[in-house]
Amino acid sequence: MRWSELTKSTRPAVLLCGYAMAGALAAAEIAILGLALNPNVNEDYRAYYVDKTTTCLNRDAVGRYTPGRTVSFRSDDARETAGMRVCGWSGPVADGTHSLGESSRLRLALPPLRDGLRATLEMAAVIRPPQTWQRIVISANGTDVYRAMLSGDLATTVSFVIPHAVLAGKATLDMRFDYPDAIPQSADASNIYNRAIKLRSFRLDAL
Amino acid sequence: MPSGRVEADLAVEDLARAKSGIRLTVIAVATVPLLFLLSGLVIRYAAFASVSPDPSLAVYARAFCKWDCTWYVDISEQGYERFPIPGHSNVGRWGFFPLYPMLVAAVRTILPFSTIAIASVASLAFGYLSCLVAWPLMDKNMRAYVLYCAFLLSGPFSFYFATFLTEPLFVLVTSCLFLALKRSSYVAAGLSCALLSATRVVGVLAVFAIIIRMFEEHRAKGGSVIGFPRWLLGRPDLIIAILISPAGLFAYILYLYVTVGDGFAFVHVQRAFGRVTGNPLLFLWEGLSYHPRPGWQPTAPQWSALTAIVALALSAVLAVRRQFGAALFCAMALILPLTSNLASMVRYVVGLAPLTMLTAVLLSASKPTFVVVLIVFVATCYFMTVAWLGGYLALV
Repeated sequence: MRWSELTKSTRPAVLLCGYAMAGALAAAEIAILGLALNPNVNEDYRAYYVDKTTTCLNRDAVGRYTPGRTVSFRSDDARETAGMRVCGWSGPVADGTHSLGESSRLRLALPPLRDGLRATLEMAAVIRPPQTWQRIVISANGTDVYRAMLSGDLATTVSFVIPHAVLAGKATLDMRFDYPDAIPQSADASNIYNRAIKLRSFRLDAL
Repeated sequence: MPSGRVEADLAVEDLARAKSGIRLTVIAVATVPLLFLLSGLVIRYAAFASVSPDPSLAVYARAFCKWDCTWYVDISEQGYERFPIPGHSNVGRWGFFPLYPMLVAAVRTILPFSTIAIASVASLAFGYLSCLVAWPLMDKNMRAYVLYCAFLLSGPFSFYFATFLTEPLFVLVTSCLFLALKRSSYVAAGLSCALLSATRVVGVLAVFAIIIRMFEEHRAKGGSVIGFPRWLLGRPDLIIAILISPAGLFAYILYLYVTVGDGFAFVHVQRAFGRVTGNPLLFLWEGLSYHPRPGWQPTAPQWSALTAIVALALSAVLAVRRQFGAALFCAMALILPLTSNLASMVRYVVGLAPLTMLTAVLLSASKPTFVVVLIVFVATCYFMTVAWLGGYLALV
């Protein structure tokens, strides 16, 4: 029935029903909008998707590793590193595992330790002249443990100590790599595709 | 014979002739898209057989399922992920809207066929129905209708209407919406818009076309511009039509809030696809100027940018022809994706029914043009299908 066809007697009732339905629709939509504007998500989700404060979406990945062994991050050892790579990595390929974005993470379960660890990493910078270097900041369980500047495209082996204080009472080692000079893929490309390093091998030794 | 009897006989004869004419028109309107549907199937199969070592029908259906199609297959079969996404992935399926995958999943519960087989047949059926709905929208212009049917079902981009992409459903529901508006059936238009908003995110923008049509009706009845809100508030049926228009989108937002915790997950997940917002004009310029290698052939970004520009120009033509609602809807549905980049621009343009209908009307203005364009449409179907099967980037 068209609006104009309503009779005088039915009009008020239909009007009332119509306004009630419109009100219910509006209320439901406002309520849903309210929920959507206040997402009920964890910090990792919020940081990556909502606030965009990180390019590395933290996940519950934990790799197994026994200190004293060198793990290759080239394509020949892909399976072993898969569990360790939390986020911010691409590959592995023949020349290593490439960092992706402005930071990357590795996480591994460790046996109880009496002292600190010595980390030895073989890495190469991703360069695009005129930029021929990459700064890298490595933190372990939230504490900065190493800062370096990689230059040229040849691989460099770096070694540093992870103090016992940052490992004490922790069942896992969460290593975060930050790249202040990561190179964008193009002028308008998302920073999730930035490139900084190629990680080729990783080793921890108990001190 | 008395003159009254003769007149009556002539009137009956005229009526019979008119009835027979109507019957012929109905048969033509139903048969034309059917013929193009069949010819499209044959041409696309020929293109497929020319590039595939296995010409079986199962492989044929799967071969057309490229790019976004695989996401829709996954949604239809597995639904949406919660967070964290299984497999340590950043990329959830949340960016792909649920109506079409839901329909296919519903049919799959009844019919014992694969998802892609059901979706392929559904897409073809939606394409056919879109043609039928277009007939009254094209003012029963048979030449334009034939071109439109050829374009959708046997044309250069007919592969979009032969696989699991949202375009077939989007075109059908858009056509239903504009038909409802043409008949001033606002609640039907609102319900169509609700379905459209659950099909693709830009579907919700059709609400502006509904409001514009209401405004036009108000003005046609002698109402003033200032008096429009008051007139609207006095008509709860119109308010319901407007408020029900985004219902599909709101239902999806609520679903995402309940499952993921983020109602806007479909927006936020774009980060994982590397989409960054920017100036549409800059994206267009970058696309147009992207020609890294020598040669005359346009690159994929150049095709995408050119398509977007032509589509925006066609939107302007719609406005000139006083189809303001359709013009605004199409322009907004183009500009919104253009704020991220040129990806899928060709597909988005093909999926905007008012633009393709207008193109068909313009190209069928003269008989020679009509014949040439019809031949070009059918001939390019083969080559564009080969390009789609080969993964040509402009067609993504």
